[in-house]
Amino acid sequence: MAAAPTILERPQRWDAAFDADMTDADVERLLATAPFSAMDAEKFPKRTPLREILRNDTRILKFRKGEIIVRQGDYGTSAFLILNGASRIVLKPDLAPSLLGRQAPGKKGIFRTLAQLWNGSRPPETFSRSQLQQAAGLGARQTQKDVRVFLQDLPRILSEHRTDTMTAGDLFGEIGALSRMPRAATIFADTDDAELLEIRWQGLRDLMKYSDALRTHVNKIYRERALASYLRATPMFQHLTKEQLDRVAEQVEFATYGDYDWSGEYKRLAQAGTVRPEKEPVIVQEGDYPNGIVLLRAGFARLSQKFGGGERTLNYIGAGHHYGLREIAHNWRHKDAPVNFKFSLRAIGYTHLLIVPTRVMEEIVLPSLPKSDLPPPLEIVKDDLDSPPHAEKGVRENVGVEVLEFLTENRFFNGTASMVIDLDRCTRCDDCVRACASTHDNNPRFLRHGPTTGSLMVANACMHCADPVCMIGCPTGAIHRESFAGQVVINPDTCIGCKACFNNCPYDAIRMVEIRDKNGEFMVDQEMKPITKATKCDLCVESYGGPSCERACPHGALTRLNLNNLDALSKWLKL
Amino acid sequence: MKRFRRQLLLGVFALIAATFAALWAHRRFHHALPDYAFLTGWVLFVAMFVLTFFNARKKLPFLPLGKAETWLQIHIYLGFFTVVLFLIHLNFRLPPGWFEITLAWLFALVSASGVVGLFFSRTLPRRLATRGGEAIFEKIPALRHALKTAAENLALGADAQSPFIAEFYTRRLAPFFVGPKNLWLHFFESRRPLNALIAELDDLRRFANDAEREKIEKLAALVRQKDGLDYHRSLQLALKLWLFVHIPLTYGLIIFTLLHIVLVFGFSGGAR
Repeated sequence: MAAAPTILERPQRWDAAFDADMTDADVERLLATAPFSAMDAEKFPKRTPLREILRNDTRILKFRKGEIIVRQGDYGTSAFLILNGASRIVLKPDLAPSLLGRQAPGKKGIFRTLAQLWNGSRPPETFSRSQLQQAAGLGARQTQKDVRVFLQDLPRILSEHRTDTMTAGDLFGEIGALSRMPRAATIFADTDDAELLEIRWQGLRDLMKYSDALRTHVNKIYRERALASYLRATPMFQHLTKEQLDRVAEQVEFATYGDYDWSGEYKRLAQAGTVRPEKEPVIVQEGDYPNGIVLLRAGFARLSQKFGGGERTLNYIGAGHHYGLREIAHNWRHKDAPVNFKFSLRAIGYTHLLIVPTRVMEEIVLPSLPKSDLPPPLEIVKDDLDSPPHAEKGVRENVGVEVLEFLTENRFFNGTASMVIDLDRCTRCDDCVRACASTHDNNPRFLRHGPTTGSLMVANACMHCADPVCMIGCPTGAIHRESFAGQVVINPDTCIGCKACFNNCPYDAIRMVEIRDKNGEFMVDQEMKPITKATKCDLCVESYGGPSCERACPHGALTRLNLNNLDALSKWLKL
Repeated sequence: MKRFRRQLLLGVFALIAATFAALWAHRRFHHALPDYAFLTGWVLFVAMFVLTFFNARKKLPFLPLGKAETWLQIHIYLGFFTVVLFLIHLNFRLPPGWFEITLAWLFALVSASGVVGLFFSRTLPRRLATRGGEAIFEKIPALRHALKTAAENLALGADAQSPFIAEFYTRRLAPFFVGPKNLWLHFFESRRPLNALIAELDDLRRFANDAEREKIEKLAALVRQKDGLDYHRSLQLALKLWLFVHIPLTYGLIIFTLLHIVLVFGFSGGAR
């Protein structure tokens, strides 16, 4: 007899409020504060009323003078509205990495490199007491809910850096929150009574949706600060005059698809084995008339085509790529024989995109493009499977459909330096693991094991993601992008072992390790609990010659590949 | 992959060219140079010294000493060429005296174990990848234990209630799950033990009701998984064990070579 099903109330969006301590009084106060006081509550739907958005998608934070609110380069999922007091934004020059909890970029010196010759016998993950003290110029304060890091020598910082003050009513962080871009500047509290409202992205999205004023305000900021520079850097628009570019920018539409917290959802679906393209939000439907070109600003999308009863993945595209140019250019040149979209485009996880309407493309952009920059004519009769968009010629022959499905299902396209192993050549000697351990405190930073397809394995090592969800929520800024090459690294000296990155990583590539003193004894706190640090692959950023795992493989079976696009994989397979 | 084919072609070409050059030099200078054995001996020693550097490179991964892959290519082709140098040094004759014979045997064994290792390294990984069910060698005992527990629960657990399945488990499957099995047969790609066990499990179906048939299916799946683990253990063990022959013998060879040099200089007043 089949077991009786477990009956639950269907999970709702606000089952887990951003801050369970938000009170009715707090909400009332917010409703009386600009810009919420100017919002028309009637415009909000019954399922997501303004009051409930404020109750469930926001939280009130109090900062003391000098406490860092957001760090330049961090990834965040929320915007901030100043309720009381003032905050200060650092304009130029940027704060030193040590003041942001990060390690200064650079290679190990010759003596530190040679010291590894005799440090090999040390116990793993040893730290000195001095390493665990806060860097000069920084202090930390434990609040009831989190850890606040503060700048100690404010007068000196203010004298050495150009800054600007923001006061009650100012909103910041909205572009980073909506477009999943790194924070553009560091902002810290400028008064002891600074009170800020943190609005998580879901709330901000809904507030914008139903409040014309907020939407207009945020879109205006977006167009002024981010859009113009983005369009200028996009090759397709480089032939436009400033006036033409302004006209394009005015008519660009923004859209977000999918779930910002995709990593948690992905983990759940992957465990249940139900990751299916059919469930992903459709951006463009195969067979639809092309109304505009889609530019991916952040996140990833899957190009697929109907195949049997399901969808066959043809490629995935990431930030900086676009879709629809071939079709729109074709229709512009052959008005008598228009074509529709040949593939579907679906958001994988979270996707933030810009849409340039077809009319704008036809009137402004396409006439400006030299003939050589226009896509080749579409051969409508021919099945275009051999040349999916955004892949170099020959990719299809080297990267089979099953590999493509494998990379997409496992979200490996996120990796800019994924560890790929050719099992046909790997002798399982573990030289890569030993090399990693020798280079990193005798503790290997990866597992030579992971999902496989055919003879390809993507090992369980940090992939240095294009969309690094691990960097969201680090209270001390210990996890960050290295400023030169962009590797995601953890500064062990400022990591407090809070597990935020460990819990966020959808690939389980971060490990918490218990640290030891120079005698090999575990370090513990006053409650005798072990002190832990987050560790992961840092691509041997401090060593000469590149990742030691790759250099240590005697059989050329291991490489670090950018799986953001298929070209790198295709080339490696073809080598 | 084309890169490896290119490497192979280049290596083989370089080896053949170097061999012909060495043989030509041997014919040309064999009788012409007064200290010919002294010269070939030192060249051979330098080649062996370079070969041992591959292991040193492995021990120092944090130093920018180039890719291990390049070092291995040098190790392989220089290793083959060292055999040619060795034969030239011996003037293509068997050496006299127990010490030189021991030294020659050590050299032969190191070379042979290297060739075996190369053969293993180039053939066994492909077989492992084809079989699938990738497992880290050190984790195999834990995985095996998990399979054994799962099989035991199926056959002997509280809700088992199938005496013939329990009897079969105790008699045939318990010894199979308890430890690694069929090491050599796996190495030689024999499926006979697995097929026999699966056939015996299939035979049990005639006594089974629907629930018991399902249980037999599950047991068969566990047997296949265990067999896969044994296969991985067998081949991965081979990939590791040859080094336990090659490297200790290399140390022995180095010691004997150094003694050989001392003896040559001590008792013959320099080689002739």
